Amino acid sequence: METGFRRLSVAVLLCVSAAAALAQDSDDPLGELISPDLERREIREAQIDSENIEITAYLGGVMNVEDFGSNPLYGGALAYHISEDLFMEAAYGKTELGESSFERLSGAAPLLTDEQRQLSYYDLSLAWNLFPGEYFLFDKWALNSSLYLIGGVGNTSFADEEHFTYNIGAGVRVLTTDWLAFRLDVRDRIFEHEIFGEAQNTNNLSTQLGVSIYF
Amino acid sequence: MNRLAAKFRRSRQLFCGAMAALLIAASAQAAEPQARPAHVPAGTEQVTVGSPYIDMHTGPGRGYPVFHVAEHGETLWLLKRRTDWVKVTLRRGQTGWVRIIDLNEIYGADGEQVQVRLPDFRDIESRHFHLGFAYGDFDGADSMGVSLGYRFTRNLSAELRATQAVGAFSDSQTYQLAVLHQPFPHWRLSPYFMLGTGLNITAPNATIVATEDRRDTAMLTGVGVKTYLSRRFALRAEVANHYLLTSRENNQEIVEWKLGFDVYL
Repeated sequence: METGFRRLSVAVLLCVSAAAALAQDSDDPLGELISPDLERREIREAQIDSENIEITAYLGGVMNVEDFGSNPLYGGALAYHISEDLFMEAAYGKTELGESSFERLSGAAPLLTDEQRQLSYYDLSLAWNLFPGEYFLFDKWALNSSLYLIGGVGNTSFADEEHFTYNIGAGVRVLTTDWLAFRLDVRDRIFEHEIFGEAQNTNNLSTQLGVSIYF
Repeated sequence: MNRLAAKFRRSRQLFCGAMAALLIAASAQAAEPQARPAHVPAGTEQVTVGSPYIDMHTGPGRGYPVFHVAEHGETLWLLKRRTDWVKVTLRRGQTGWVRIIDLNEIYGADGEQVQVRLPDFRDIESRHFHLGFAYGDFDGADSMGVSLGYRFTRNLSAELRATQAVGAFSDSQTYQLAVLHQPFPHWRLSPYFMLGTGLNITAPNATIVATEDRRDTAMLTGVGVKTYLSRRFALRAEVANHYLLTSRENNQEIVEWKLGFDVYL
């Protein structure tokens, strides 16, 4: 009798608990076995300014245009620093063409008008900070610096014509502070023109000293 | 004698009590957020180093030497960032540059973890701007281009594009607004489709024929592929078809090939 009652009560208990488990199953599979008392880790983003843009003004420069002599160069550049190794740069420059040796020697009428002798260029380049390091000035100063290789494409405009231009070069940047740097840059701009009658590929070298500010 | 001993004991207790009070006061002071030293500008982010140590370099690059080490538990102020480096200063004035990846365990005033985000092309859920330069062939003419894009969902980006092409017979400038769809943004080599519209300005070379510049509305379709070489630098190649709606008898089609790179801003 007693065992029968015990069996019944166990069966009832099982049924009830199974029903309860089923009922719980429908809304929360884990029931109260695992309570979600884990605290979520708090992560916040740092409030911090970025200084990846560098604006450069040429303090002085000289550009040689093949057959047309060397003349002062004016201009500037805007760079975006992608990583410590790479930066991209858009540059603009202006110079004027001198007299070509043909014009000087032949004594003929000038090939170009004064307006046509105004040369301007712009280009888009990618540069690689190949040798970062320090320059030492006497005992007192160690200046951060880098030597970079740069190359890109652009457009040179003179003599009422546009000339597609490739540029390659190298430069040195010396930082006096975190935000002020001096740059000495040598560039070869390669383009083709037809001023002397037939298409001629020219290498036009320029050197410029610039001061740049990071912001 | 006994009274004297009791007095001495009492005074010793008093002294110990005072010392304990002092110690408690001192430790309470240490737990409070530390006062900002004079060389740190107001509003600068203040964090505590949680990792064993952080190397400080003289400049933002691997070529600049380590001159100091910030220790575990030391307070840092984050001044500014350049590329993947942050300029930090310590309480006693040492100021240098640390790698962002070394700042993976820094904590704020309330013990919360502070993170300096590293932009990453692989993070396809993030909305971001990207800037690109390109070189290409525009119907036989050499072309250079610049583009500014914004990715607003994991698949879709919008782009402003400008191209200058210099050819033997004519020079062109194109300005476009395009929408790019990347069906598989998580692929390492991810293709995209492009639809756009814009303006093409064509200037025939004066030495050949004396004609006016033409301005035509253009419809742009294209396909391309993008692949990232590093977290912030992706290469892309593209072929696009410009359909010029001219005022002449026939519309004109121009095929343009481009190779360039995109940078995560």
